Amino acid sequence: MEGRLANSWRLTVNDKNFIKTALLSEIRIDGRKPFEYRKISIKFGREDGSSEVQLGQTRVMGMVTAQLVQPYRDRPKEGILSIFTEFSPMADPSFEPGRPGELAVELGRIIDRGLRESRAVDTESLCILASKFVWAIRIDLHILDNGGNLVDAANIAALAALLTFRRPECSLGGEDGQEVIVHPPEIREPLPLTVHHLPIAISFGFFSNESILVIDPTHNEEAVMGGRMTTTVNANGDICAIQKSGGEGVPQRVIMQCLQLATSKAASITKQIKDAVEVVNTERALRKVKRHPTSTGVDVREKQN
Amino acid sequence: MENKQSSSPASFVDSTVVPGDVVLDLSSMTNQTIKLGGGLRQDCDAISATKAGTLRFSKPNKYWIESSQKRYVPCVEDTILGIVVDSKADNFLIDIKGPAMGFLPVLAFEGGTRRNIPKFEVGTLLYLRVVKANFGMNPELSCTDASGKAAEFGPLKDGYMFETSTGLLRKLLSSPACPVLEALGKKLSFEIAVGLNGRVWVNAASPDTIVVVANAIMNSECLSGAQQIIMVDHLLKNIQ
Repeated sequence: MEGRLANSWRLTVNDKNFIKTALLSEIRIDGRKPFEYRKISIKFGREDGSSEVQLGQTRVMGMVTAQLVQPYRDRPKEGILSIFTEFSPMADPSFEPGRPGELAVELGRIIDRGLRESRAVDTESLCILASKFVWAIRIDLHILDNGGNLVDAANIAALAALLTFRRPECSLGGEDGQEVIVHPPEIREPLPLTVHHLPIAISFGFFSNESILVIDPTHNEEAVMGGRMTTTVNANGDICAIQKSGGEGVPQRVIMQCLQLATSKAASITKQIKDAVEVVNTERALRKVKRHPTSTGVDVREKQN
Repeated sequence: MENKQSSSPASFVDSTVVPGDVVLDLSSMTNQTIKLGGGLRQDCDAISATKAGTLRFSKPNKYWIESSQKRYVPCVEDTILGIVVDSKADNFLIDIKGPAMGFLPVLAFEGGTRRNIPKFEVGTLLYLRVVKANFGMNPELSCTDASGKAAEFGPLKDGYMFETSTGLLRKLLSSPACPVLEALGKKLSFEIAVGLNGRVWVNAASPDTIVVVANAIMNSECLSGAQQIIMVDHLLKNIQ
């Protein structure tokens, strides 16, 4: 009993009251305005399809892998896209190891819905041999540090990882043309996924009865706020998904306001993700060009020794 | 490692050590009494480090390892900020950011008797003193100073509490006063309570002062004295 208490994260009465009173005069504890987003930084790992996103204090790592599997019976020509979340107790003492909690399931579902229902990733191009072999894309999202608004950070991490992911090229061969040959990356350049658009999740927090609205709530604000709404929109203003949780009732006018805010934020976040991906892609291309001179350079040095 | 053991112990003082480093060799310093602080252990004649940090020495004979960490290890006579988690018949259970809950006996208040037990709702922030911190036991806390007076201890009203690392705390409590606090204090009036367990409480008349002070302190961790003053000036310009 005591052990459990020690693990659960708690907020003091002072902080709860302060967050509410400060918000009445449009001040947030980290010095932001109510409609200001935290700074996003996107980093990529050495491997293709890995990303690390930092949103204020929140840190999420995304990892995309692919595997050849048999497709579902009812969709023989479509690849499979699945999302797995990992909430480490290192990120927040309230996350329990093992069984995914309610929050982990919700987070996975929101991102999954945004990506899948809006058909952001072209699953038909992942088919190699109808009803035999398709690529199954697996997105793993690891929460490294919980500073609030995990959904948005995890969504950006998933998109960044998807955009840098490369799958090996495949061709059909054999006598009957039914055999799948997977070409290793040294022989044929791996292919990127077809991503039509980027559904960006933007979260809002609602505070009880004073009709206060904030964007991108932090960890502390999440503990105080009455309700949250996550809208997934893309840069064109298409709404891909909306998730409303918590007890707070929200009038239609406020929802429309949220959607407008979300659309403008989504445009800037999309740009940021694309810029980051482009930088990493140019680096990747340059690495390839430079391969020869560096290898000869090493040879020379070894001879001298 | 071999040459490290033979080197003179003074060379390790104020340098970074990692767990396993043998920092002192007792065989070479006979007839001398030394006191070991946190992060050091003795194996026969060798004193080795058990955590990463900087080895400090204070005259005449104290050695300890200073590091910056998020967790708090209770120590007797530390003043800390605790959060009430639960109240039992004899004790309040207090979260002190440590490995175990702190126990605050209901009588550990100035003039505390069975009749006037204070009522604290869950989540109340208290300024406390650690009385006992034995291994394997819940640390015992008190709301009085050593002479039984309330002093500054007790519940903190309003304001905002945030968490920092122990390294930053040491800077905040150091004398002469930390540059960030001095720079802020010249322009703004605020009240601050620093707990050795990595919690800082700030109160001021207006919410924006609290926000500015809290953020300035949180940002100052990795800045030098001059940088801290520049940062504070910059922040103050923004709010005026």
